[in-house]
Amino acid sequence: MMLPEDKREQLQTQILESEAPREEAINVMFALQKHYGYLSDEAVSEAAHMLGMTTLEIEELATFYDFLYREPVGTYVIHVCDSSICWMYGEETVMDYLSKTLAIAPGETTADGLFTILPVCCVGYCDHAPVMLINGKPYGPLTPDAIDSILLDIRLNHPECEEVK
Amino acid sequence: MPNLIIDEREIEVPKGTKVIAAAERLGIMIPRFCYHEALGSVGACRLCAVKFIEGHRKGIDMSCMVEAKDDMVVSTTHPEAVAFRKFIIECLMLNHPHDCPVCDEGGQCLLQDETVSGGHGRRRYPEKKRTYEDQDLGPFVQHEMNRCIHCFRCRRFYQDFAGYRDLGVMQIGHREYFGRFESGRLESPFSGNLIDVCPTGVYTDKPSRFKGRRWNFERGPSLCLHCSLGCNTTGNARYREMVSLEARNNKAVNGHFICDRGRFGFDFANHVDRPRTARVDKKPVTWQEGVETAARRLRHIDGQKVLCLGSERCSLEAQWSLKQMCRNLDWPNPHFFVEPEIQRKVTTAVGLLDETLAISMGELENSDFILALGVDPINEAPMLALAMRQAHRRGSTIAVVDPRPVSLPFSFSHLAVTPDHMDLCAQVLVQKAFDPRSAGNLSDEAAHVFASLPNTYTPNPDLQGRLKDLGQKLGESLKPVVVCGTDMVRPHTPGLAAHMVRFLREKVDGARLFHVLPGPNAFGAGMLTSPEEPGSVLEILETGNIEALILVEQDPFWSYPDRERLEHALKKVEFLLVLDYLPSMAVEKVQVVLPTCSHFERSSASFINHEGRLQRTSPIHRGGTPISQVSGGKHPPRTFLDHIPGGDAKAAHEVLAELYGAVSGEKEGALLNGLQDWLAEKDAPLKGLSHQKDGIRVVPEGVLEDVVFSWRKSETIPQKKGLELLLTHWTFGTEQLSAHSRPARKGERAPKLMMHPEDARRLKLADKDRIALSLDRGEVVVELEIAPNMAPGVIILPRHRKLQWQKLKEWPVMVQDDGIRKTEGPK
Amino acid sequence: MAGSQSFILHNRLEHQTMTLDEYRRTGGYQGLRELLNHEAPENIKKTVLDSGLQGRGGAGFPAGKKWQLLPDDAPHPRYIVANTDEMEPGTFKDRLLLSVNPHTVIEGMIIAGYANSAQKGYFFIRPSYQQVALKFEKALSEARAGGFLGQKILGSDFSFEIVVHRSAGRYICGEAKGLIHALQGERPHPNIEGHLTEEGLWGRPTIVNNAETLAYVPHIVRNGAQWFRDLGKHDKAPGNKIYSVCGRVRRPGVFELPFGTSLGEIIEEHAGGMLPGYEFKACLPGGASTRYLTKEFFHVEMDFESMSKIGPGHRLGTGAIMVFDHTCCLVAITLNLIQFFARESCGWCTPCREGLPYMEALLAAIARGEGEADFLPRLQEMCRHMRNAYCAFALGAASPVQGLMEDFEDEVKAHITHKKCPLEHDDPNQWPLQPMPGIEDLETGNERHPSCPI
Repeated sequence: MMLPEDKREQLQTQILESEAPREEAINVMFALQKHYGYLSDEAVSEAAHMLGMTTLEIEELATFYDFLYREPVGTYVIHVCDSSICWMYGEETVMDYLSKTLAIAPGETTADGLFTILPVCCVGYCDHAPVMLINGKPYGPLTPDAIDSILLDIRLNHPECEEVK
Repeated sequence: MPNLIIDEREIEVPKGTKVIAAAERLGIMIPRFCYHEALGSVGACRLCAVKFIEGHRKGIDMSCMVEAKDDMVVSTTHPEAVAFRKFIIECLMLNHPHDCPVCDEGGQCLLQDETVSGGHGRRRYPEKKRTYEDQDLGPFVQHEMNRCIHCFRCRRFYQDFAGYRDLGVMQIGHREYFGRFESGRLESPFSGNLIDVCPTGVYTDKPSRFKGRRWNFERGPSLCLHCSLGCNTTGNARYREMVSLEARNNKAVNGHFICDRGRFGFDFANHVDRPRTARVDKKPVTWQEGVETAARRLRHIDGQKVLCLGSERCSLEAQWSLKQMCRNLDWPNPHFFVEPEIQRKVTTAVGLLDETLAISMGELENSDFILALGVDPINEAPMLALAMRQAHRRGSTIAVVDPRPVSLPFSFSHLAVTPDHMDLCAQVLVQKAFDPRSAGNLSDEAAHVFASLPNTYTPNPDLQGRLKDLGQKLGESLKPVVVCGTDMVRPHTPGLAAHMVRFLREKVDGARLFHVLPGPNAFGAGMLTSPEEPGSVLEILETGNIEALILVEQDPFWSYPDRERLEHALKKVEFLLVLDYLPSMAVEKVQVVLPTCSHFERSSASFINHEGRLQRTSPIHRGGTPISQVSGGKHPPRTFLDHIPGGDAKAAHEVLAELYGAVSGEKEGALLNGLQDWLAEKDAPLKGLSHQKDGIRVVPEGVLEDVVFSWRKSETIPQKKGLELLLTHWTFGTEQLSAHSRPARKGERAPKLMMHPEDARRLKLADKDRIALSLDRGEVVVELEIAPNMAPGVIILPRHRKLQWQKLKEWPVMVQDDGIRKTEGPK
Repeated sequence: MAGSQSFILHNRLEHQTMTLDEYRRTGGYQGLRELLNHEAPENIKKTVLDSGLQGRGGAGFPAGKKWQLLPDDAPHPRYIVANTDEMEPGTFKDRLLLSVNPHTVIEGMIIAGYANSAQKGYFFIRPSYQQVALKFEKALSEARAGGFLGQKILGSDFSFEIVVHRSAGRYICGEAKGLIHALQGERPHPNIEGHLTEEGLWGRPTIVNNAETLAYVPHIVRNGAQWFRDLGKHDKAPGNKIYSVCGRVRRPGVFELPFGTSLGEIIEEHAGGMLPGYEFKACLPGGASTRYLTKEFFHVEMDFESMSKIGPGHRLGTGAIMVFDHTCCLVAITLNLIQFFARESCGWCTPCREGLPYMEALLAAIARGEGEADFLPRLQEMCRHMRNAYCAFALGAASPVQGLMEDFEDEVKAHITHKKCPLEHDDPNQWPLQPMPGIEDLETGNERHPSCPI
């Protein structure tokens, strides 16, 4: 279940070219997260091994950041911005609507493993409020119809859906 | 020296002193959490806020971060500062469980103190408290995270100061969690210091959990006796039982910390089988009877046929009294070492050490090059590793010449060579430190030495390059230290080390010598052993001329490598007398036992550490059988006595005095006379044997001009066939006192035979194979551990209490390939 | 004073990224070419100092002065760090800047490297700007192919390389010292004592500049310090500034204007004023860590000097204007802001780590009608205490709260007295929304009013 050979080699090269292995810690964790679906305990061990760090040292970093998931998440992580402009524009209703549509509460994953809903702080798209990110891709301004069509789009194109690298 | 005013009081402090430390000198304890003298200032907790009126940006700033400057004016009582500190302490208490009644830190809790000092009372926070799940951190340290105030001290100690990487801070903001990646035993052998360093009850002493609060205990200053470093401790006793130890600050020796062996090894004093009463032929008798029986037997034996054997763990008072007694009774001089090689190494080391060469562990932290010769610090004397790490953090280069798989919490150069090669290695390194062109500046003697130093490490040219680089570093250093062990090295090595340092001093007068000796008072034993003394106790016993053997706090069965020979030799002795506090094997086998006190009980005792520092312990409690053992767990006991059960034991020097009186008929007492004068002779400015805060060095002053180089020209190293068996110490399980301690035993790992992968390949052995090792006196069955960072050509066995390893007939011993075989059988 | 002229954003839309050729046609990399053969690094520093360019990330520290703090005899290697963390709520100017004109930032970094004799640049970008990072990487390869980046640039002795570093998402990474730790793969606490210009990344001299600050550098070098000074509205406000406006205005977006343009002009003229049916109530002029301004302050010039003159706690910040209309309960808005700050607190020092959740708790109680009268003075006192935290994060977090307590005391008191929000919304968020004039999906980028004046 480890990272595929070519990806490992690429990361190893990046590590060698960096000032110190730790500099690549986030890149390594992102790559492993993508491979394993989330940053599992196994991923943490693998990251530690690649970087010459201990699992504790990886955990110190992994649990600090918003976009590293130490618990299982769906294939598509929906981040709903809840900072003041998006909030003013209906973030709570967006959250509600998503929860009702997907039948999960924020923090949970749908039974088919497709979607997870999480709050996120201002993503820098305030001129398109309210905004959500799906696997890092921004969508906004949101209306119920827009949400419906976005989710449908994803479901239809699921295996081929172009993910942000 | 800056002169500043704090709260209208003036004080002058050394340059670089922070305001918080300057205030301490005035007796003003500015509230603080994250600041710690050993861990430095980071400015995280914000509690040490004071108002700066002059000499700094006007307003509130953190006293731990600001350096004292001339004409600075500071107020700790300004309303702004007081209000801010009150806010901070209120913030820190928002999530605190307020569980003082069930917290072991209660009564010695910095958080309690600062809460009161900050004037915080009622909780006005309307939300719920955040809570955590605790982890199991192993047998030594209890984890209760709800009490955490996020001062970061534990992480800074564990990672920055001590260099271990399995405990840290996770999560963010007020969810931050201090712990391991997952539950599991803390890897650091210094983990117990978390207990001292944590200002709240997050980390508490697990073995002594719930046994009492600070105010329940009898407390006193003590010393750790589990190696020769002489770290300072504070002991806690309750109900006649030693409950726990804490580190005691001694800047010159151990700083603020101690190792886990020292912290948890004290429980030998509570051992259920400790000899508590005098015994004659294995039957308990009254004290008087015991002394009388022994004296009677001794009176009837020709003085020349009495042999006395002390040890490296006897107090100086006991060692001195023993020597005086033998002199007064016309008995042969006492021995303090069973093995002649060890005697030779220690007496050489002690004899050649003087004030110009000695260096304390505290001073070692400032050295810029450390050459460790035949030392495995983590296993032999753990705090040495911590001191070396501080030197490393300050930029020091560290080289370790030792065959064992030495591991240290910092990067160092490991030259893994066999014991026969260690001296050559060290000499080449020293040779490389000197530029031959400047040899002309050396004195004649030194120049001659330089000429005879080998310049190539012939056995392994690969090592030559490394030695050259290290030698260059040594040549550039200003404060190099040679750390020389007395366990793994050959008998002449301590002498070589002393002369190497003398030689280095020709170039740089900051060069120093640091020995690791085999016991807490090996130094005293070495000073009291006459150089002409024939070494081998066993040979003396085997002549059959000895009719009485007196063992004073010595158990040869534990450490003597040839038990069979020992037992045979003892059979030739008619009368065996043991004075000890340990339930040793010797105690089981002798005619008369007179129990002694441990250093926690009854009277003060002095011990001299590796650098010749004389330090004293104070008794923690009166002594006697712990109440929990007297009453079978019921408390309080229901019987009323007019004496303390098991309270017969006296300090070894007191027992000797009584014995002397009984044998000679003279007034008891006089044995300690002359000790003070003798110490004063050693150039120590003693004012009586009163307790000195940091201890005093009792080594001669040393005059450089009188130095005589006794250089052993390097010989060809004999080629030996087979694998040399090396016996070694481990942090837990091999040192006798801590091996009798229940909490320390929990720190042990199973004994292993260590072997280099090359040798294992040749013998077709794999990691975790069960091995039967054939020695002269029998087999030792043990699991194999492959260690790539040890020297090839040797196998290493710990002197573990779980192994019957004392089966050697001679040593060093070479084991041939057919003596190592895989086995399936049970141990 | 010169008329307004958009020489960074060129009035482009977000998806209209300038290619290398387009950039060069407007004079891009010309400045670099010229200085490589002729100018001594100290002269570049002097030019930037003379231009009066102030850091655009919120602190306003003069860029040239920062560069001069790096000693000439400092050891090597040295680093230039472009800070595109931009996690201040309400701020998205750098997003537009990098989407539209990445090359100006690249050239700015290279020139900064030259001026400081640095060898390597790090481009630090937040994870929610993935698209932007990809565009930047594309621009980097264009620049490399063109010989403007890499070994021996344009035949000179100067070599410079740029590495893109993606953050994993925390506000504190935008704080310079936190950023350094983040780059080094450590927890981004801001605990570095001393100046980064002496001991920064990997213990080496480091310059950390906001991306927008670096964007102006090539133009200053090409056109001269005085040219830059003349662009601004007055001499304490040199150059242009990229302002952004969000909230219920007609044209939320990003505007490159002369520095010192008035608040009112930006909101009413460039952002088109309020949406029909909405009245202006208050705004935060520079992202979440600033103090509320009401309509009376529309005349104030939006530059560092003029803003701080308004009073204690008032500052320009990022110049990202967040507009709140009459339907917004400012207690609720402030609560949302403090929730953000409390969540993002890195946890290093006590007042921020514990104090912000404390403030959040009190404000939340007020918002739901359970507040008590003494909450006001308590909150105000806490805001004052934030001054003594370890870094400026806590102080910024306290700004809107301080503003609420001091300038909207009545609104707060109404919540306490009436035990509920006086605006009486069942659902304070309108749904469905007033459709904003503009794009529905960020990807297609069609039909939108131009967000920059021509």
